[in-house]
Amino acid sequence: MTTVSTHVEFYQGIKGPLFRIIRTPAKVLGHLLFIAPLFEQANKTRHHATRSAMNAYQFGLQSIVFDHYGTGDSAGDLIDASMVLWQQDIVQQVNAIKAKSSQAIYFSLPLSAVLLLSDELLSLADGVILLQPDFNGKRFVQQFQRLAVVAQLTKNSKIEEDSSIRTQRTEQQTIEIAGYVITPSLLSEISGQSLAKLAKITVDCYWFEWQHQQEELSLARTKQQQAAVNKSNHLVIEQVDDVKFWQATELQLAQSFLTKEQQVFAKLASASLSFSAPEVVKCEKQ
Amino acid sequence: MTSAQMTQQTSEQLIKLLVAIIPNYDENFWHADTELFGAIAEFDSMALVTLIGEIEEYFDITLDEDDINADNFASVKSLTELVLASH
Repeated sequence: MTTVSTHVEFYQGIKGPLFRIIRTPAKVLGHLLFIAPLFEQANKTRHHATRSAMNAYQFGLQSIVFDHYGTGDSAGDLIDASMVLWQQDIVQQVNAIKAKSSQAIYFSLPLSAVLLLSDELLSLADGVILLQPDFNGKRFVQQFQRLAVVAQLTKNSKIEEDSSIRTQRTEQQTIEIAGYVITPSLLSEISGQSLAKLAKITVDCYWFEWQHQQEELSLARTKQQQAAVNKSNHLVIEQVDDVKFWQATELQLAQSFLTKEQQVFAKLASASLSFSAPEVVKCEKQ
Repeated sequence: MTSAQMTQQTSEQLIKLLVAIIPNYDENFWHADTELFGAIAEFDSMALVTLIGEIEEYFDITLDEDDINADNFASVKSLTELVLASH
């Protein structure tokens, strides 16, 4: 098995240090920034992001996995975070890469991570990889808030400790749901996010959709895909008939997805090679 | 499709959704009378909310907050009745 060159660091973000794991191949053909989804989804997808990052490395893509400010091992408290801050932290990281490299920059965005997409971010990327993206911020917040409703239910039935999940408004106007202490404004920001807010997706967009082969896509997913088709110049939708690893109560790997994703990595890497080829020719002529 | 067929089909689909969320039980464990809420340790808040999201998406229905109660999520059978009533 090939040894992966891994560098762990605290990168100075806008409001505080961000925990990052960077895997840099000997010859970098492109950069892949893994943008974590929100709240519990970050924990549920972390093991898969690690696998993907290691695979990307094998194809010559430098992978950067990081935690948003106030989450994971990064500095700060969630209560001080905002969508704008998280987006600007990404912008800063991308600009830092661009300052040192002319290679393409791609984003990997699983699930609710797409809610962080903005026109500014899309203008900085050369391509995006979306894993079961959910652009419906309102629905995401509704599901998140339901944790509080369900917690009340489980509390009454004594399945869970009543302190594990609760909702409360304090004098500082914060909300605590599932152990996450956040401001109502953050939820409001997330709720306001939708695909409609993005002008046009002009970069290459690879969309992985989990769908059993024998089953039709649900209406909600069909609508989202159709909206994306209308927005995007180059959208490739890949069907994945595998476990929804982020939902399961135990760790699972969607192996067929990882295989398909590697095919995308190979494409991105070869695109970088062909993109850089004329530059080499040009140099030789000079 | 008869009412019985609808019930059977809905129940089977719900079981598929449950298996995806709670994969550590074999197929024989799941049937119409399988108890859920309060009976399965893995059926915690997160799993329950995930299931609600999957049900809404798959069946193209919207569940009210009032629908989220112990009775409706007591078993596969009660959940099936909830889904059929929500159409």
